[in-house]
This record gives sequence, C-alpha cells and structure tokens, in this order.
Amino acid sequence: MASTQLTDEELFSQLKCFGYTPGPVTENTRPVYLKKLKKFREEQQQQRGKGRVSGTSSSSTGAPRPVRHDVRRLSSGRRPGLKSSVLGFSSDESDAETPLKRKGLDHMKRPSRSPHLQQQQLKIRAATPLNEANKKQYGVGTALKSNSFPSPDGQTSASLGWETGKRSMHDPESRDEDVNDEVQNSHPVNGRSAARLNTSKLAGEYSDSDEEEVGGPGGPERDRRSLELRRIYTSGPFATLVDGRGSRIGGKNCALNPLGNRAMAGGREEDEERGKKGDLDASGGLRSHMLPRKSIYVSLGEDHRSNTGENNHVNSEEGASGSNMASVALRPRYRASYSSTLSPQGGYSNHIPVQNHAYGPGTQKKKPTAPEDELLLQFKREEQPSSGSFSAHYLSMFLLTAACLFFLLLGLMYIRMRGSGSPGGDGVIKSHPFGSNFDSSYSKTEKDVILKLLLSLHDHLAIVAGHHDCGEQQYASRSLSREQVTQYLLAQNGDFKDFIDVSLEWIIRAGQDVGIRLSGQRADDLVTDVSEISWLESTHPRMPFTCRFRRALLTVMNKVLVVAVVVGLVCSVVFYVKYRWRREEEETRQMYDMVERIIDVLRTHGEACQENRDLEPYLPIPHVRDSLVQPQDRRKMKKVWERAVKFLSANESRIRTETQQIKGADFMVWRWIQPPLSSDKSKMWQGKAFPLDRRNSPPNSLTPCLKIRNMFDPDMEVGDSWDLAIQEAILEKCSDNDGIVHISVDKNSKEGCVYVKCLSAEHSGKAFKALHGSWFDGKLVTVKYLRLDRYHQRFPQAQGCSVPLKASSLHQTPASCPLQHGGPNSSGFS
Amino acid sequence: MSTTSQKHRNFVSEPMADKPVTALAGIGDRLGHSLMEQGYDKAYVVLGQFLLLRKDTELFCYWLKDVTAANSKQADDCAQCLKEWCDAFL
Repeated sequence: MASTQLTDEELFSQLKCFGYTPGPVTENTRPVYLKKLKKFREEQQQQRGKGRVSGTSSSSTGAPRPVRHDVRRLSSGRRPGLKSSVLGFSSDESDAETPLKRKGLDHMKRPSRSPHLQQQQLKIRAATPLNEANKKQYGVGTALKSNSFPSPDGQTSASLGWETGKRSMHDPESRDEDVNDEVQNSHPVNGRSAARLNTSKLAGEYSDSDEEEVGGPGGPERDRRSLELRRIYTSGPFATLVDGRGSRIGGKNCALNPLGNRAMAGGREEDEERGKKGDLDASGGLRSHMLPRKSIYVSLGEDHRSNTGENNHVNSEEGASGSNMASVALRPRYRASYSSTLSPQGGYSNHIPVQNHAYGPGTQKKKPTAPEDELLLQFKREEQPSSGSFSAHYLSMFLLTAACLFFLLLGLMYIRMRGSGSPGGDGVIKSHPFGSNFDSSYSKTEKDVILKLLLSLHDHLAIVAGHHDCGEQQYASRSLSREQVTQYLLAQNGDFKDFIDVSLEWIIRAGQDVGIRLSGQRADDLVTDVSEISWLESTHPRMPFTCRFRRALLTVMNKVLVVAVVVGLVCSVVFYVKYRWRREEEETRQMYDMVERIIDVLRTHGEACQENRDLEPYLPIPHVRDSLVQPQDRRKMKKVWERAVKFLSANESRIRTETQQIKGADFMVWRWIQPPLSSDKSKMWQGKAFPLDRRNSPPNSLTPCLKIRNMFDPDMEVGDSWDLAIQEAILEKCSDNDGIVHISVDKNSKEGCVYVKCLSAEHSGKAFKALHGSWFDGKLVTVKYLRLDRYHQRFPQAQGCSVPLKASSLHQTPASCPLQHGGPNSSGFS
Repeated sequence: MSTTSQKHRNFVSEPMADKPVTALAGIGDRLGHSLMEQGYDKAYVVLGQFLLLRKDTELFCYWLKDVTAANSKQADDCAQCLKEWCDAFL
C-alpha cells in the first residue's frame, strides 16, 4: 500500500474504516496516523492469515500465501538434485546414499546462518501444540541450528533447508508432511520474511517434538538443557552409542560447538571417525554448561575420534590420527584448566551426538533438537558474530589453530630434548672429557676407536638403563656386568677388544661424569682400578619415545591433579561459606517477615479489642504461631519462629510479653499496648496544594453554584453516613462563609462530586477559594463553577434554599474536634 | 496505588501554567532539548499535541517516539502524566 501517497482525507477515512476516530491529520500527526494504519492492516492480515494457516497445518496442501508457494516450488525443484556440495563448510561428508545415517550430518554441516533464525528459534521455543514429525523436526532444527555456521549468504541456508527437505523425502510419508514445515522453516532460513504465523506454527511443532522427545519444554537456560541432556543420557544406553554414529551426532556437536566448527573448515573425513567413540564418560554430560566456553578446547583436545564430520569439526584442526596425536601431545602442554576439561569435554561432545543415536537407532528419528537448539541458540546469542563478520571469525579460528600448532611443536621439541641425552653421532667425536692427555697419548686412529668404543658403550648402557626404567622385562637390571659389556663391545667391533680396558681406565681417570658409572662388586663402591670394575651403569638413561611421553604425561597429570585438588578444596570451602551466608540471610529475612506478621496480627487484634470489649487484649503466643504458620510448615519454621519471638521480646516496644492464665493453663501471651492512633480513616482537610491566584482560578466567581470534584471514591467508602461526613467537612472548611445553602453529595459519581449552591456569586467565590486545590483525605480537590439553571435542573429542591448551612455539632469528626465545636445549632440539611 | 514518580505527581497536582517541557514526567534533559529544538518549548505545546491526538496515549507515544529518541517507558510516562493532568484540569 502506498501509504505515503495518501492524502490527509484518505488517511482519515481509512482510519475510520477500522472503526477508529482519528483526530485531525496535521503535519505533526500524520506519521502517527500512518503508523496506526499500518498496525491496523497488519492485524487484519494476521487475522486473515491465522485462519488460513491453521487450516493447513502439516498437510502438504498449498500454502495460502504467495511467498510460501514460491518456497514450495523451489524446494520441490531443488530437492532431487541437491547434495552437500552446496554448502562449502564440510562438504565431504554427507552423501545421499545413506540418508538415514547422514541426515544429521548434512544438516549439521550446512551452515545456515541468518540472524533471523535466532528470533525464530526463540519463537519456536515458545511454541505449543504437538506434532509427530520427529525426524523432520530434528532435521529442521538442525538445519536451523547450523545457524551458527558462518554462511556467506542466505542461499546456502536456503539450500540447506531444501536439502533437509530432500532428505526427509527419503523417509516414508511421515516425512512428506513435514516438508511443508521444513519449507516453512527454510523460510526464515532463507531470510525471507515469512509471516510470523509460519514460524510460530513451526515453532509449535518444533517445540512440541522437543517436548516429546526431550520430555520437557526446553528452556533457554543452559541448566535446563544440561538437565535434559542428563536425562537423555540416563535414558539412552551407552552401549548403543558406541557403534556407528551416523545421524545426528555431528548435528548436535555442531550445534554445541559453533566455534569449533568454524575453525575446522576444510574436508573432514567423518567416515573413518565413525564408530571410534571410545570411552564415553557420563560425567562429560554434566559438563554441558561448560561446553560453550570450552568448545574450542574440545575441538583441540579431542582424543576420541569424532564420529561424524561434525565431530570432526569439533574435534581438531587436523585429520584423524594427526589430531589424535596432537591432542595427546597437547595434553602435557596444557595446564590444569585445559587438560582436566579436555577429556571430559571430549567425552561430552561425543555424548551429545550419541544421544541422538540412542533415540533413533534404526528409525532415523531425528531426536532431541531442543536441547541443542537451545544451546545452539545460546551459543549464537553469546558468541555469534553477525553474519557480516564471517571472515573475521575464520581469521580468529585460524589464529587459534596456529597457536595450538605452535604449542604442539613446542611440546614435541621439549619432550625430545628431555629424553635424549647427548646427541650421538657416528661421526668423529671431537670433544671428550678426558683432557689433553688423552689426545697426546694415543694416535688418531686409536683415539677414534677408543672414543667410538666409549660412545657405543655409553649408548648401549643408556638404552639398557632407559628400557629398564621403563619397565621392560628384557632388561632386568640397570647395570651391565663387565662380561656383558665386553661381549657387547666385541660384537660391535672387533677392534674394541684391545681398548676396552684402556677406555675403562680413562673413564675412571676422567674427573667428570661421562655418562657411565662404574661400580665394584658391591654397588656404589668407588672403583679406582680397572680390575675392580664389575658393573657399569649409565647415568643418562635414554628412554624410548613412548616411554618418555608416558612419563612426561604422568608427571604433568599428577601435578595437574594436585593443583586441581587444591583448587577444588578452596572452591568448595568458598562455596560452603557462601551457602551458609546465604542461608543465614534467608533465615533472617524470614524472621523479619514473621515478626511483621505477628505485629500485624496483634495490632488488628488490639484494634478489635478496642471495639469489642469482650475480647481479651492479649493473644497467646502459641495461638499466634498456629494461626500464622501452616501445620505442614511448623516444623520447618520452628527456628524462625523462635528467633522472631526473641526479637519481639527484645526489640518491640508495642508488644508486651507476659504470662496469663487462660482457661486454667498458663500461657505466654503478647499484649498489644500501643494506644490506638487517631484513625486516619477519618476525613480531614490536609492543606492546600497550590496557592490560588489568577492563573489557576477564574478571576471572579462566575456563578453561585459549584461542583467539587475528587472528594471521595465511591468504591472505597464504608459506612452508611459518609456522605454526611463529607458535607460536614465541606461546611467546616467553609465555616467562615455562611452563604452555603445547599450541598448534595453524588454518591455514585466516579469522580467524587459534590454540588454546592451558595447564596451569591461572592459566597461561591469564597468557597471556591477555600476548597479548590486543597487536599482532602489524600485527594486533591478541584472546584468549578456550574450554571445556575443547570444546577436547578438537577436539584430542583435547591431553588428554594436560602438558609445558610452550618457545620453540625452532632457529627464531630476528629478534624473538627481540635478546631472547633460545631455550631450550637444543628443545621437542617435539605 | 500505581507507581508514579515525584515529577508526575508534581505536574499533575497543579495547572501547568508556563512550565517548561522538562517538567513533564518522562521528559528529562535530553528529551527536553530535543523537543525544544523542534519548537515544543513549553509543556502546554506538548499538551496541544496530546489533545490533537484526542488524548490517545498510544498515539501520543508513537508521536513522541517519532519526534524524539524517547523509549517506551519515557513516552508512556509522559502520556500518562498528560492524561492525568487532563483528567484533573480539563
């Protein structure tokens, strides 16, 4: 509608069509009325659309709206051909042959990103009625979920939606119906502005299936999600999870690890990952709330092969084995915060997809999308950059992987350094610790031989020691006997034979540690002569790589464990302290609450006693308690009650605790001893709100009749003579003005109107001045002049009044008491 | 009793006379400046606008949000204040 071309008159009339009477359409009010018109139109369309949509819930009938038609056609057109190729992200996985298995995969893979989806998700979450389209729902959900994936444009998401639609086609009829829904879903996915109805309807189905499957409305909170997930875990047998993953695992993972996904662009081989879910520990599930933050770590430190492409995404930057190694290597590098969370995280992320599996082992039911949806949604909300910063996100991911690679390399190098001793080499050994004597005593070849001998001896001993240290059985002892050494050296090189003793002697002579320790018959004997040598041992054992790794790993783990334990202790202490403190606060609050209630009860009782002299002015304490606290709460509130009683006796001055005999038994009672305040229910004048001057009152009194507004509230008045009280009050206020001849209180008026007629305009002017702008009983009174003839029309009896009224002494309100005793003559009221 | 601000109560308690537009509930310095720039320098001018819209608070809110960068709460407060003033004094 070209609402901008509407003239003022047209706008006016259009608004009138909607049954709304607009004010003048001026340049100021025009935009406002345009907005209103738009709103009216939208409402109209909504109503129309609602009727239509409800008719075509999940059937494949044509959509009433043209947009939907388009989508449908498109989707049906696309369906046959589409494959994963459309979406670049992890295009490798997913192929149509195994639709059942792959569905989740593909869905997950597809990044269908659009900011709209978030809102849609939200709406979906809020939805209602239940549908059966489990699988489809799931697919849709996952399709929607993959929102977290960066997508260059809406197209991919569109194709995603269609793809899911196509996929669902593989399944029997139940799917077909859902296609519609899917189509509807892909609506927002495509970024087209679908009617709210569509999404809400979808949302309804969606959430319903969630409800169905998850067993409860998926709340947006992560806790709830983790709760659901836990439930899912407990319900799903893990055994089934271990075998081939397939369907949705990736989806869930993807949903949960949008960041990881982004990082893992590139081909993934989900197939080999399949079925490699090793140990799933249940505790991983409980960490769900940590997952969002740790998604990156999960992706990095995944030591389980991820089953699906999505898992690949999540798992690591590299391929399967490499990442495995890398993750293992990474472990020692990362400290407490990482490693301890890595494995559970990994386990957890594995779990998540697994749970899907548990639900639909054979039937390909797309299962709980709600939890992942919500989690994903939260992810998206928290971490999701707008689709515009797509490349920025990739960049950050890239930087992250680079950093991890760096650490990995560092770790490797570190370990290698640690483990290896002196770099051996077959080349000429230039340096030796034997001093210049050595050089001078022997010729070059001899030197070489000796040195080589020593080197090989050293290496051998190192290996022996290393293996022994690692616990391998073939080397029972760390040191080798001389005979063994001799044997070995001879085996190495015949030339050595002559030089064995020489070299041993040189070792002894060497002042420093050359890496070989010589000992005599008994261990730790210092040897001074070659003949005494019986055992040789290496002081620089060289352990095999794996052994080194293991040891390093164990060391790190131990340290990490210790740190974690300490941290855990501290945390638990802190939490405990906080918890106690909170409990204390809660109890104190309850106590004060109870105290207030007691005071109220006592006060009302006291007031009741005032009126009714038959009641005892005190109340037994147990009776008060029993009337305030429900029977089932009494035990719980016992402590609170005790504290309240103590508080009252110590701090409350209006209540006196005493002992009384009631029906023969002694009771501790409370007596309310506050003298009753002057009841503020009485009507009194409370001062003027503003000074009357020319601005807010007519310059001269116009008529002798006044209408006084806001004197009372007809709903709130109690009693049967309050109108008289009001009249009295008015008369009192105008006591100096003896020109009031008629007062009439309009009992039914909402505005609390009182009509007053005066002798003359002058009198009414005085009354006006006295009354207008005063506060009466908490309400601001306003006065205005009435026309005399109208007044007489309304109150014909006033025509004949001419006797000035005076405040009566019969009805003495507290307001009047201190001021004056009412006039001695009781006035007659007309 | 509804929760009205002190400003509201002050405004509604007496005829507005020549009060500036910042005396309206919900209109602070920023919005006040914005209104004054557009020519609504006194409260009665805004009242005029309110009356033009037939004392419809919803429309008035639209208008106010249009004309200034008011948020829903501020617009609501102002509309409510004007409405009550009108109820009391018109």
